[in-house]
Amino acid sequence: MPLVEPLEAGAIRDPELTALIGRGMALGVPDAAFPGVLARVPGYANALLRALLVSHAEGHVDHRLKEIIRVQLARIAGDPYFAGLRSVRARQLGLGEETIDAGSGRFEDDARFTAAEKWALRYARDMYLNPEIVDAAFYAEGKRHYSEAEIMELGAFIAFHYGMHVFMRAMGAHPREGV
Amino acid sequence: MTHYEKSSRFTAADKVALRFCELMALDPGRIDARFHDALRRHYSDEEIVELGAFIGFNIGYHTFFGTLGFYPMFSPDGRLVSQEESARIYGSTPSSLAGQPARA
Repeated sequence: MPLVEPLEAGAIRDPELTALIGRGMALGVPDAAFPGVLARVPGYANALLRALLVSHAEGHVDHRLKEIIRVQLARIAGDPYFAGLRSVRARQLGLGEETIDAGSGRFEDDARFTAAEKWALRYARDMYLNPEIVDAAFYAEGKRHYSEAEIMELGAFIAFHYGMHVFMRAMGAHPREGV
Repeated sequence: MTHYEKSSRFTAADKVALRFCELMALDPGRIDARFHDALRRHYSDEEIVELGAFIGFNIGYHTFFGTLGFYPMFSPDGRLVSQEESARIYGSTPSSLAGQPARA
């Protein structure tokens, strides 16, 4: 049983939040549960949902790579809710479940990922499992593949999504249909 | 951070909130029905969501900023200081929970 039940859509009357929820539903991430929980704190809901959507679906870094990273982070956080959601857009761009799983596994040895993608996958994994090795040398390596703006885009995306995964795990949330 | 459970300067509600933060960062598997009940004895659903989202956001960003090697721009007495001086003031290794991944 969740710690806090999401508000039903009919109880949410803020038009901006309703539009953001619609955008999330169209993308597939998040479904109605995340904004339904956040809607209990209206001052937070719009800002956090907008940040979640912008960091995932906008910017210069490939959305498919962000989707692989997002699932990897949800699995690291032990969050079944976000781990069970999938981006419709990433799927339409050709991202399959096998590649998503590979991004959470031994991706360093996997020929399907470029050197740049492997660095980004290590960035996400080691940010929370081995932060002591995400040092100046690690960032210098990243700059061979990405601009500083792209690294900050990735870093902020990773930090925000991991934080929300930890939050939803603490809320005891699960997706309506597991993957 | 380390002795809050025995400290008299925190209320029972404060202590549950601090425990919530500690468990979210280090041991989320222990956030179970019993802990939910403890939270609900002191906080409303709205306050629990507010606390949880705030803590989650900070867990995510503090680790990220830690990897960037940033230090506070101001000293404790409010002076604008260089990053080198700030590192000397605040220490190169902050007292934190970083590097301790969530347990299943």
